[in-house]
Amino acid sequence: MTLTFRSVSAIALAIAFLGGAAEAQTIKIGVNEPLTGAFAASGTYVVNGAKIAADEINAKGGILGKKIELVIEDNKSNPTEAAAVAEKLITSDKVPVLMGAWGSSLTLAVMPKLMEYETPMVVETSSSGKITTTGNPYIFRISPPSAIEAAAFKGIVDKLELKKVDFLVINNDWGRGTAEDFSKMMKEKGIAVGAVETMDQGAQDMSAQLSKLKGTDSETIIVTTAVDQLTLIFKQAAALGLKKRIITTGGSQNPDQIIAQAGAAANGTMHLTTFLPWFPDKTPNPEATNYFIAEWKKRGFDFAGCTESFRGYDGIRTVAAAIEKAGKAEPAAIKAALWDIKIKGLNGDIVFRKSGPVGKESGQSQPNVYLIEITDGKIGMKTL
Amino acid sequence: MKLGAAILTIIALASVPLWLRDPYLMNALITTGIFIIGAMSLNLLLGFTGQLSLGHIAFFGIGAYVSALTSLGFDIGLPGGFRIVHDPWPPIAGFLLAIIVAGLCGYLVGLLSFRVRGAYFVIVTISFAEVVRLVALNWIELTQGPLALTNIPSITIGLPELGSLTLRTKLQNYYLVLAVAVAAYVLISRLVHSHFGRAMRGLMENETLAVSVGIDVTKTLTLAAVISAGIAGAAGSLYAHYIRIIDPEVFAFINTVTMVIMVITGGKGSLFGPVIGGMIFGLLPVFLRPIMAPEAQWIAYGGVLIVILFVLPRGIVPSLAQRFAKRWNRSPAAGPVTFSERDAKEPA
Amino acid sequence: MSEFLQHLINMLVLGGTYALLGIGLTLIFGIMNVVNFTHGVLYTFGAYIMFIVVHQLGVNFFLALPLAVLAGWLLGATIELTLLRPLRGSDIDTTMLVMIGAWIAMQSGTLWIWGGVAKSVTTPFPEAPLVLGPVSVSWLRLFVLAAAGMLIVVTYLLINRTKLGCAMRATFQDQDTASLMGVNVDLIYTSTFAIGSSLAAAAGALLGPVYVIFPQMGDLAAVKAFAIVILGGLGNITGAVIGGFLLALAEELGAGYVSSGYRDAMGFLIIIAVLIFKPTGLFARSERVG
Repeated sequence: MTLTFRSVSAIALAIAFLGGAAEAQTIKIGVNEPLTGAFAASGTYVVNGAKIAADEINAKGGILGKKIELVIEDNKSNPTEAAAVAEKLITSDKVPVLMGAWGSSLTLAVMPKLMEYETPMVVETSSSGKITTTGNPYIFRISPPSAIEAAAFKGIVDKLELKKVDFLVINNDWGRGTAEDFSKMMKEKGIAVGAVETMDQGAQDMSAQLSKLKGTDSETIIVTTAVDQLTLIFKQAAALGLKKRIITTGGSQNPDQIIAQAGAAANGTMHLTTFLPWFPDKTPNPEATNYFIAEWKKRGFDFAGCTESFRGYDGIRTVAAAIEKAGKAEPAAIKAALWDIKIKGLNGDIVFRKSGPVGKESGQSQPNVYLIEITDGKIGMKTL
Repeated sequence: MKLGAAILTIIALASVPLWLRDPYLMNALITTGIFIIGAMSLNLLLGFTGQLSLGHIAFFGIGAYVSALTSLGFDIGLPGGFRIVHDPWPPIAGFLLAIIVAGLCGYLVGLLSFRVRGAYFVIVTISFAEVVRLVALNWIELTQGPLALTNIPSITIGLPELGSLTLRTKLQNYYLVLAVAVAAYVLISRLVHSHFGRAMRGLMENETLAVSVGIDVTKTLTLAAVISAGIAGAAGSLYAHYIRIIDPEVFAFINTVTMVIMVITGGKGSLFGPVIGGMIFGLLPVFLRPIMAPEAQWIAYGGVLIVILFVLPRGIVPSLAQRFAKRWNRSPAAGPVTFSERDAKEPA
Repeated sequence: MSEFLQHLINMLVLGGTYALLGIGLTLIFGIMNVVNFTHGVLYTFGAYIMFIVVHQLGVNFFLALPLAVLAGWLLGATIELTLLRPLRGSDIDTTMLVMIGAWIAMQSGTLWIWGGVAKSVTTPFPEAPLVLGPVSVSWLRLFVLAAAGMLIVVTYLLINRTKLGCAMRATFQDQDTASLMGVNVDLIYTSTFAIGSSLAAAAGALLGPVYVIFPQMGDLAAVKAFAIVILGGLGNITGAVIGGFLLALAEELGAGYVSSGYRDAMGFLIIIAVLIFKPTGLFARSERVG
């Protein structure tokens, strides 16, 4: 027992020493993502996207003459751990800036730490409206909250001739937020809103909810959840003979997987998404998108992961741009520089606008939103 | 443990912030301390009445939500057109209400679930925690469901004549957690050594016999459940005001499992067991983090758990106490009397 | 009306799988008095074996099923021999905690080996569902229902008609007397755990292709299995089967007519109600409380 403890502390010391030695040559960026627990798959995708960005930047010589180094820590899909990880990254690893923390509750748990240590964080995935409206000036978000998605969708609801919609959403901040913001928008447009059904995150059998939706008088169902549950919903809807129009939101869809697994049932479905890996040339930044997708495939990752991992890629590029602009790797300078950057992200320009209470606004970027449709087993773009 | 040793331990714990400057480790100590308080309250049920509750996180979570809602305020509609509007109160009121409400829930759950024993009790408590989690998840008007309660204020302590003090720093929170932990420890210790404590242990050893000598089983167990739930609620309140955001994930099964691990590895039925078990399993992830991959950390965590149970199946404190029995002058705190009978059969 | 019929059909299909989950656990729980937290991991394990055998080894879907059952049997026997046998005689809390340790370690092992991204298994069944008037059901799920029914019958016969089953029932009723009558209790324990584990793996192998396969898939399944066992009474196979269908019915009607947010609460509310009004479970032998 003594021996183990001694070797453990020896290793820990060695790591601390190496870390200290490396500090001088690199610029550290803290990455706070779920690598184990319920969100392990998504967190790992984001980290892999982030690594592509870091390698690309370092291959071009790094920033400010130094290489960047990602300090990646696992927040275990647990808010308490997410806060602890932020504490570690900021105080032990001395990172001047963070990216994280995938889920909204994870990000919300980190936010008081950002205030405490006055360190900025780029939020790459979380969608809860609260993140940018509660007055935390260290938050810079590149993912769209559901209100932005709803606003983008507003322009095309007339073309779709919606009359009455039902919702089937994942029972977390993301799904609930979408149902709320989209319902509000639909009502403004004079579209009736019927049932709002939820499913637990991790639930595998949605037949009960789908059977209920099969019996309502709505013609369209808006579905919000991650790709795995979407696949299950399409399979189970097909098995139940549910023939309503389905529109998915949230940007974590993977239509290829849906086509492969739901077959003919996928025809006629529409998907509101924030990234177009299927049409790199139609994205705002075709060059970067092509590079990213090629690199993603070269590293042997699942193509399905692109719709999640591009956020890690964009997040790190945003952070790097801010450090470059700041001219030094210090929290206050990076925070100030984040307001001034403008980079071409994979889903539109990343420019932060003020959001939340005056005097302590958070930054929110407005990514593009696209609508795609599956017809005859092929993905096509609908113009917005 | 004797008084002297107890005071030494408290002094040692109180001196930690003087030499430990790393905020990350302080943070780990504070969250560990909060879970140790939860584990001590679980130990009152598991170690002294023999009832294994796998839903203990429900009381912790209820305490967290009550305390957060008291200090944030809420406005809810009830069936029949009634509305309840509550304006924010100071967090310290939330802390007290958390104890009271969690204790009341402990009373109700105790009344219902002590009708069954063994595995059935285990499942009833799991079910209770799940139902509470689902209510927290779906009663959005009150709890904001998965949207989480945010901006929970830090605890403020009002001192007469001296104004009030808001506990924001790690140092302040560390001493707050330590103070609550010591209070909980003293309360549980007093209880266990009282007439009531003897009734509890009598029940655990032989329920039929206990009944025949006039111990009121349901009353005894229910009282234990109320106090246990109240302390867990206090821990939940500390958690809410320290982490400053709570969502229904606070009811996650893994949090109950963490407390059970702390109690049983440390030694159930030993007052100091949950503290030792809690220190080990609260800080183990901190030590594992820099030396191995995230998945491997969990594998090691499970492995350490299994190894401890194989080597010291009765828990660390009772097993060690037995080995040092001669020097340590057996006291009830070192372990319930039942162990002494088993000890006699096994060569140490 | 057609919605109600559809809910009933869903209940049948879901209930069959729940029953399969429940019987493996009820055997272990009832006979060995072990709160088996590895049940969910074995369910996940069965599903991953299915994925490996079908997609990485290219074996036929129907041949892969018995392989998954066999793998579950072997892993179950290994767990019993290495983790449970040395702790025989320890109290229920200690063995439960060891099972929790095994659960945490094995689930993380799954994540380490296969990653968190969900896998799916292609099946030889047609995508188009079987449509019967207003209701429809997929062929795959009908097959799962039939296979689950067959496994349940086989287990029932094993317990009630074979010598091994007789010894298992004897151990369940009174371990000491069974031992005196010449029953090898060690062997019974290992067999029981292996059989229970192979049933969990079978459930995973059957349901993995219906749903998707990922490391935490077993957690929800295990919680449901516990609920079913308590509904049916410890060690009662018939009870577990009825409990499985009852839970499925409660969930379907709960989600359909009450609120989908409380779908998973239905099962737990039933458990609480059952234990308050009939603490022995719906179908248990009364002496098993305590």
